[in-house]
Amino acid sequence: MASIDKQLKELNKIQDLQQRSQWMNILHPLGKLLLSVFYIIITVSFGKYDLVPLIIMSIYPIFGFILGELSFKDGLYRMRLILPLVLLVGIFNPFFDKNILFYIGGTAAETGAAVQGGFAVTGGMVSMVTLMLKGFYSALSAYILIATTSIDDICYALRCLHMPKMIVIVIMLIYRYFGVMGAEAERIITAYKLRAPSQKGIHYKAWGTLVGQWLLRSMDRAEDVYESMLLRGFKGDFFTSKKSYGLLDILYVIIWTMILVLIRSRVII
Amino acid sequence: MHTGIHGEILRIENLSFTYEDNNHVLDDINLVAHDGESIGIIGANGIGKSTLMKLLVGLLLDYQGTIEVAGHPVNKKNLNHVREHIGYVFQDSDSQLFLSTIEDDVAFGPRNYGLSEEEVKEKVDAALAKVHISDLKNKHIYKLSGGEKKLAAIATILAMEPDIIIMDEPSIALDPRNRKNLISILNDIHSLKLITSHDLDFIMDTCERTVLLDDGRIIANGKTSEILSNKALLEDHGLELPLRLQK
Repeated sequence: MASIDKQLKELNKIQDLQQRSQWMNILHPLGKLLLSVFYIIITVSFGKYDLVPLIIMSIYPIFGFILGELSFKDGLYRMRLILPLVLLVGIFNPFFDKNILFYIGGTAAETGAAVQGGFAVTGGMVSMVTLMLKGFYSALSAYILIATTSIDDICYALRCLHMPKMIVIVIMLIYRYFGVMGAEAERIITAYKLRAPSQKGIHYKAWGTLVGQWLLRSMDRAEDVYESMLLRGFKGDFFTSKKSYGLLDILYVIIWTMILVLIRSRVII
Repeated sequence: MHTGIHGEILRIENLSFTYEDNNHVLDDINLVAHDGESIGIIGANGIGKSTLMKLLVGLLLDYQGTIEVAGHPVNKKNLNHVREHIGYVFQDSDSQLFLSTIEDDVAFGPRNYGLSEEEVKEKVDAALAKVHISDLKNKHIYKLSGGEKKLAAIATILAMEPDIIIMDEPSIALDPRNRKNLISILNDIHSLKLITSHDLDFIMDTCERTVLLDDGRIIANGKTSEILSNKALLEDHGLELPLRLQK
């Protein structure tokens, strides 16, 4: 129960972040979405041994957190489920790629053969770190986008990109139903716990019934929400207010695009 | 959207309805309502009040008889026309409010009817002002209290300026102050209002006409003051006198 309640509160906190009147939140969502996607593409396009430019690529998430006034600690906490997966990618690389790239310390780094006292850094080690960084940065940039842009704005940006409206509506409704299903799950578990105070957790025999109840009740609630939409003229498309571009929106995208392109083309190293 | 129709705006003739599982809920219902009226629909649990309301807005369609909203028969072909004239405030406000902020939610209806952004803004501001929550415009839905959610749900309907407003148990879970506030707001709304409620004091405060349903039929249809003071009638049909009339 506490866990579901906590998750719902986390969802609400992210919505609070999205609704701030901070300048990054006000930027046009299309620019932010395109920039995030562009950053991820550029990040993953680096070669497996391109450690130095990848380290420089950290400039985008660093500035994103600073300019967006986001807490790095909270960001890491909210990504705690995905980060282990991201960091585990490539963990076996050191076992497969034992090619020595360079030595740290030692005296004969040029030949690479007989080095005294140096630490041999293999290709596997470097590629493991670059893979981790790529995943980490991608997750951070996605978080920056989510923390500064509401789901309605992201969907608006997707519609601007001519994403089929059916897909956009499905994304929007799935997001809405997280809250609905979470609230229903919390009610059911609270009702169970109040009548089974000495029980630790939920008895396995009750799981089937509770999950069934949860689905049925969530479906009922979802149907009510859908009916409410239909009764207010919903015909399969979400209309939102048109957002106009300002100079800041354009500059933000152009400056970051130039910086990322310069890093990718090794002008900035 | 408000049409400015005066006079008869809702006509129900010989309405009967049976659910797919052969549960016969409504039988030979006849009702005519006019612009500006406020009608309380009362009755014990499970006698078909909610079913009747869902039939009026076309959420249930396989009925026998006639339902006409602002001159449009309620059928699959006319649903869009019918729903332009009729607004439904759900019992559970959480079902009504599904967007991030009050402003977005209230704007949802007007935008769907193709109004320009300026018109949408005007209607949103006017609807919020009517229910006295203009200051909550940018507030997140999940941060609202029960009373604020109810007012926001009503604002979502008022923004569409419907000719008919249906309210399912609007006073449920409201504290006395919010309840009083809601009564005053409803009395200032001049559309036809159909209010279902078990809170008979609330019906007394908001409706000049009352329809008593039981066993799928209309048992009484008349002045609220007469029906709600008839102890024998109410008790025969599973209700009690409003609290203020009980000694």
